[in-house]
Amino acid sequence: MKEFAYFPGCSLEKMASSYHMSAMETTQKLGVKLNELDDWNCCGATTYFYIDELLAYTLCARNLAIAEKTGLDVVAPCSACYKNMFFTAAHLKKDEDLAEHVNFALEEDNLHFSGNVKVKHLIEVFAQDIGPDELKSKVTKPLEGIRIAPYYGCQIIRPQKEKEDVEQPQFFEELISAIGATPINYPLKMRCCGGSLIISSRTAALTMVRNLLQSAVDNQAAVIATACPMCQVNLEVYQQQVNLEFGTNFSVPVMYFTQLIGMALGIPNKKLGIGKEFVAMAPTPLAVETAWGLPRKTK
Amino acid sequence: MTKKLLMIDDDPDFVSGIKAILDKGGFEVDVAYNPKDGMTALQTKQYDLLLLDIMMGRGAEGIMIARKLRKDVKLRELPVLIMTGMREQIAFLFPGEPIHPRFVEIDELVEKPVEPKMLLEKVNSLIAAAEAKKAGKK
Amino acid sequence: MTDTITFGQEISNLLHAAEGEPLKTCIQCGTCSGTCPVAGYMDNSPRQIIALINLGKKEQVLESNTFWYCASCYHCTVRCPQEINITELMYALKRYSIWKNRYKEGLIGPTFSEAFVKMIVRGGRSFEPVLATSYIFSFNTREFVQEIQGATELLLKGRLPLLPARIKRLENFRRMIGRIIPMGGLE
Ligand code: SF4
Ligand code: SF4
Ligand code: SF4
Ligand code: SF4
Repeated sequence: MKEFAYFPGCSLEKMASSYHMSAMETTQKLGVKLNELDDWNCCGATTYFYIDELLAYTLCARNLAIAEKTGLDVVAPCSACYKNMFFTAAHLKKDEDLAEHVNFALEEDNLHFSGNVKVKHLIEVFAQDIGPDELKSKVTKPLEGIRIAPYYGCQIIRPQKEKEDVEQPQFFEELISAIGATPINYPLKMRCCGGSLIISSRTAALTMVRNLLQSAVDNQAAVIATACPMCQVNLEVYQQQVNLEFGTNFSVPVMYFTQLIGMALGIPNKKLGIGKEFVAMAPTPLAVETAWGLPRKTK
Repeated sequence: MTKKLLMIDDDPDFVSGIKAILDKGGFEVDVAYNPKDGMTALQTKQYDLLLLDIMMGRGAEGIMIARKLRKDVKLRELPVLIMTGMREQIAFLFPGEPIHPRFVEIDELVEKPVEPKMLLEKVNSLIAAAEAKKAGKK
Repeated sequence: MTDTITFGQEISNLLHAAEGEPLKTCIQCGTCSGTCPVAGYMDNSPRQIIALINLGKKEQVLESNTFWYCASCYHCTVRCPQEINITELMYALKRYSIWKNRYKEGLIGPTFSEAFVKMIVRGGRSFEPVLATSYIFSFNTREFVQEIQGATELLLKGRLPLLPARIKRLENFRRMIGRIIPMGGLE
């Protein structure tokens, strides 16, 4: 059984509890154990920590040090947390002075980070450690005929972490195919949703969200799949505001990839946190919908 | 003998103001505008005093330098005057609380803007104190 | 050791590597601006802001909204032929303008940043509702209503926490921060 240290991050505590639930259920079913880090702190991500980057590194390093103690690689389900932890580990490895200074601060909590932790995004655990073939072999209720738009967002793939493909990644599509659904190809799958601008520039943010939804809908997506709590909230929660602002009529379910995988693995909806969303999942073929007892479209 | 000072500060406007005062006061002043250049200067040249800023580069890097200095056998004796605008820069995080580099022994801390007369007094007295200490040890 | 430095060097000193002047290698190809999803809302595009820095136009750069509009999507960064980390530059400019207290009145970004950092420094975790109240009043009435609507629905769906979560070893955590930012009356 594969085991990882698991850093849920602040948004998963409540805002994205369905992501947390479905991540736990699906990994367990696929033979992967996620152990939540003891007493983790907010990584201070999003975009607000440029005020003092040394502080930002220290916050991430504390979590990395806690993970290092377990001897396991660490997994983050939030793209922002992932990016921050990944680059904190990389910077501290490269810059001895920085590592020394940050470790001096960590002493206050009896911790030390020596750089021996690999940082992964949750979706990488599915794409690499489990792999689409293994996943496919465990599927009991393939999501046949459902057109799913994989939404990569920004920070899983950017900035480039190692040598991976940052222009045409395919791993999300492969996971969608593995659960029997149809991954759709749409031009904005890796474009920024602009959600982080909702506070500083509402018009820019809502326009970007609209463009994305439009691109997915134009390509007949029934569902948008995300791998980040922030992408999910931005695309889902701001849908009605986009509608108000632009007179559009979007009603696209935005689900976590783990929820979709969970459905295909035959895990009951309730355990996947399905039912907490604003725009309920309504797969196109009505037969499938009734067979699963899914909630009907709310709008 | 002319006393040699090193100033590590990232703000060219502040630096030129302070440097003018110190030049007039008869000091020889070198300037480094980032921590890295500052460390190089400290390791290659001899100084009588260091004037150090806190918020530089990525964050409170001045503290990193001060800590490094205090761990270095050769540089440990060098008097350090911290001149910081931290209260203006990020004090909103800790409203009403004091600036407090208590993890490093520094000799004095003044907040920007720095008054010319006070600056010269502090510089002179810090150098004198360091020399007295050195003489006492011999 | 030079007598003074250019604005370009001043900005380069804020970057992670702090070695040399990466911005000087910009060939003004415009790939960044062409890629940037927010360029249309910025008063100076990413390419222009780099040109202004290299020309030493400090005031114009500080007056610009470019870096506050940057969504940190890193799309420009992965495509720049000169491997300039433009996103990091935008962060650095935000930092520069906050430290200098030079951000424009009325921008919500800086206020929000302050509130966010403050909260984490105090409790170790972030807490959306507290944040919301600190910036929500900056919106106009219509936006305010929409925002409240979103928050209420999240609450009803059980997705917003009612009490902020705190970490357990909070005292250690605060002392840890005290070693990085030398402020505050801890001990
Ligand atoms: S990025 Fe968001 S969710 Fe992740 S720890 Fe930080 S604030 Fe919390
Ligand atoms: S797509 Fe939006 S929420 Fe996701 S990482 Fe990019 S800006 Fe953040
Ligand atoms: S893409 Fe790079 S080289 Fe081209 S204009 Fe932008 S920063 Fe300059
Ligand atoms: S990182 Fe900022 S500047 Fe670069 S493309 Fe994204 S929004 Fe534009």
